[in-house]
Amino acid sequence: MVRLRTSACAALAGACLLLAAIPAAAQVNFSGEWSGRYHEDQPDRVPGEEPGDFSGIPVNDAARLFGDSYDVGRHSVLEEQCAPYTLPYMFFGPNQFRIWQDVHPDTQELIAIQMYMGTYQQRRTIWMDGRPHPPEYAPHTFMGFSTGEWNGDTLTITTTHIKQGYFRRSGVPASDRTTVVEHWMKHGNLLSQVTIATDPVYLTEPYIRSQEFVQMERGNTNWLYNCEYAMEVPRDKNTVPHYLPGRNPWSGEFEGRHAMPREGVRGGAESLLPEWKPGAAAARPNPAKNGGFSPTVQPAPVPAGDVRAVKVQGNVYMIVGAGANIAAQVGDDGIVVVDTGAAGQSEKVIAAIKGLAPGKEIRWIINTGPTADHVGNNEQVSKAGRTVNGNQAAVVAHENANERMIQRGVADAARPYNTYFEPSRDFPFNGEPVVLYHDESSVHDAGTVVFFRRSDVIATGDLFRTDSFPVIDVAMGGSIDGTIAAVNRLLDLTVPSKMLQEGGTYVIPGHGRISDEHEVVWYRDMLVIIRDRVKDMVARKMTLDQVKAARPALDYEGRYGSDTGAWTTAMFVEAIYKDLTR
Amino acid sequence: MSRGLVAALAVAGAFVFAWSGLSAQRGAPPGPPLTPRQAAPIDLTGTWVSVVTEDWRWRMVTPPKGDVASIPVNGEGRKAAQAWNAEADNAAGNQCKAFGVGGIMRQPGRLRISWQDPATLKLEFDAGTQTRLLTFDRAVQPGAEKTWQGFSRAEWEGPGIGRGPEAPPGPGAGPAGPPVPGGGGQGLRGGPPPRGRAALQRGGSLKVVTTNFREGYLRKNGVPYSEQAIITEYIHRLPAHPNGDEWLNVVTVVEDPRYLAQPFYTSTNFRREADATRFAPSPCKTDPPLPVATGRGGRAGGAGK
Repeated sequence: MVRLRTSACAALAGACLLLAAIPAAAQVNFSGEWSGRYHEDQPDRVPGEEPGDFSGIPVNDAARLFGDSYDVGRHSVLEEQCAPYTLPYMFFGPNQFRIWQDVHPDTQELIAIQMYMGTYQQRRTIWMDGRPHPPEYAPHTFMGFSTGEWNGDTLTITTTHIKQGYFRRSGVPASDRTTVVEHWMKHGNLLSQVTIATDPVYLTEPYIRSQEFVQMERGNTNWLYNCEYAMEVPRDKNTVPHYLPGRNPWSGEFEGRHAMPREGVRGGAESLLPEWKPGAAAARPNPAKNGGFSPTVQPAPVPAGDVRAVKVQGNVYMIVGAGANIAAQVGDDGIVVVDTGAAGQSEKVIAAIKGLAPGKEIRWIINTGPTADHVGNNEQVSKAGRTVNGNQAAVVAHENANERMIQRGVADAARPYNTYFEPSRDFPFNGEPVVLYHDESSVHDAGTVVFFRRSDVIATGDLFRTDSFPVIDVAMGGSIDGTIAAVNRLLDLTVPSKMLQEGGTYVIPGHGRISDEHEVVWYRDMLVIIRDRVKDMVARKMTLDQVKAARPALDYEGRYGSDTGAWTTAMFVEAIYKDLTR
Repeated sequence: MSRGLVAALAVAGAFVFAWSGLSAQRGAPPGPPLTPRQAAPIDLTGTWVSVVTEDWRWRMVTPPKGDVASIPVNGEGRKAAQAWNAEADNAAGNQCKAFGVGGIMRQPGRLRISWQDPATLKLEFDAGTQTRLLTFDRAVQPGAEKTWQGFSRAEWEGPGIGRGPEAPPGPGAGPAGPPVPGGGGQGLRGGPPPRGRAALQRGGSLKVVTTNFREGYLRKNGVPYSEQAIITEYIHRLPAHPNGDEWLNVVTVVEDPRYLAQPFYTSTNFRREADATRFAPSPCKTDPPLPVATGRGGRAGGAGK
């Protein structure tokens, strides 16, 4: 009887365990090592695309111009040699990846699905715990920020915060406003992945693709991606390989070689449907700004009137929502502030700064330039601070900034009274060197770039921004060549955290999101390309109106341009034209 | 093994069986077994248009003879592709070889899906005016004659079988239903239910295995598949895209011991259309390839810019 009871209990316990092991709502487990099958577009995906092929992509004219201007030599630029594919392309190129799950040790709830990709050694986290996407000012990465949710056996993933890259590595661009929705399905050892990319800058409609991966039974040892940049083609820093509009010598080669109609090779949404036939009219022009199509998944902007502080790295924070970005470095010595934002929000700005280091005084204020959106709260923030001598916090700037503020009629109390004249100035604060760099001419002649050397963070002022073309004020001493030279110096200071172009030195732009070297490189490339186009037009004796009509910035207008507001695309082009013709 | 242990295991086994049965019946009204149509975890019906974003140069135009890029043909497959002769096909009444089951999904066109009867799903393609019947009835056997579309046996897969084809919420919709504190009695030993539990119990896919077809072409330019091949498809209706688009995704695996060196994987995407007004049947017809240009310069558009 005792034996019976023991056996019965054991069996029942086993049954209970069995029941417990039956998941109430089982979710598919994608864990394992997977290898791609390249049975669609294999020549594009493995050996690499040929220039001039836009077929199958709902591109707009901005993307076409970008692709037509693209010179593969751009990959020989030092900072671009080891730049990984971004997510919109990553699964199309040669790739193998490993997937595993992170579960909460107590609740066994799935927290995240992790991926490691052999190509460029990329690590990706797909958050499954319901967390929101970061705000728009957060840094972007090559793999972006991903969240997932289950729809039955389908895992649906939404990714934002992706760096600039390509839909095809022959130069079909994908902007940093691209969002990607993925659907993963598993059938035995087959993983099917559908990606739907939305890019308001370069696409006119969502771009869907799908691909298959097979689980590797034996795995593979080739998981590392060694990339070290080297000077492959000696060239001046002001040179970025590209072709001027209409002068790409390879244009037309692709369709001829592969017996394809040019009107189809140019891509566009209309060419993707069955109605399209060879001989149809050439792809209809469509506006750079994407017609009426707008993405539905975008990180939320900072609400109006909301001033927020976010840690960048080391001792440095960025404060957003008060006009231009504000940087603050905090520590035992107190607080040094870079810029004070636009007038009218001084209380919130001061509260945000002091909230970073309660009990610590604001000791220094550095102005990166003289414009109102950067210096609007100088007086109030200064009065809220105190130097070690008991005075209000000192405002530091280049002497030219002081002069420009005087010209603008800025009150004495709001102007810098600790100015410098030399190309650079440095001082120690909170245990790290703080270095100020001045360029005689960049977007104006009064700029200062602030480098927190140990924290490895740079506050650039309006030399670099991610929300518009640079505001080159020719009347205030600005120039396109000076701006390019200053951005190149910025690139001398930035160092990625590893050879694969991500992290490392973080850059706080005058306006826009936290960036790293990758964003600065693309910005430099954009400036050089547009400068070269305008310079060529000037050499061809084109008038300003003709230059504007030719839209030399078309491929960047959807990202940085504007038809309205204080700084339009036309004003940017005019500034370059006037600078190059004076 | 003692009689007691056997008895205990029997009790436990019955318990497990009962649980499983209950689980299978959960949400289903008592009555006769559900038909495949009633059990459908997803609704595939409607008109869908192929959006050709992949293999464009091989799907939207007829590629040159011998262009087998991307397809894992073996030596015999390559040789057969080189021997492609469209005129001979037409003369022999074989103009539909590129519209057979191995190639029809890749033809640009519209696909209309409906239930022919409660156990047969009908797929109509306007390209080549082709019809495929997918049978869920195990009693139905293939006929003696091989056809372009062959004999397709279908079965639902996934957690939503019998729960109805409720459209998944799509990304951004968040977990379905409010969180329920405590999952006791649901196999969770008192812990919280999984996040988005209701979403886990929805959806599914359709698996289709096709045999008994005539030899045809994987690609318009005569890259072959043989009658010995087995074609397996997984048909997914994807969660609605945030912009409202509805997508159908068809994964096709062709295993052909005669012409392929390894399984051939493709996946094809269709966007749902509001109605069938643009469904325009056309006969099987393959345009000849465009001539390959030598040297630089596009053929149809001159020498580029």
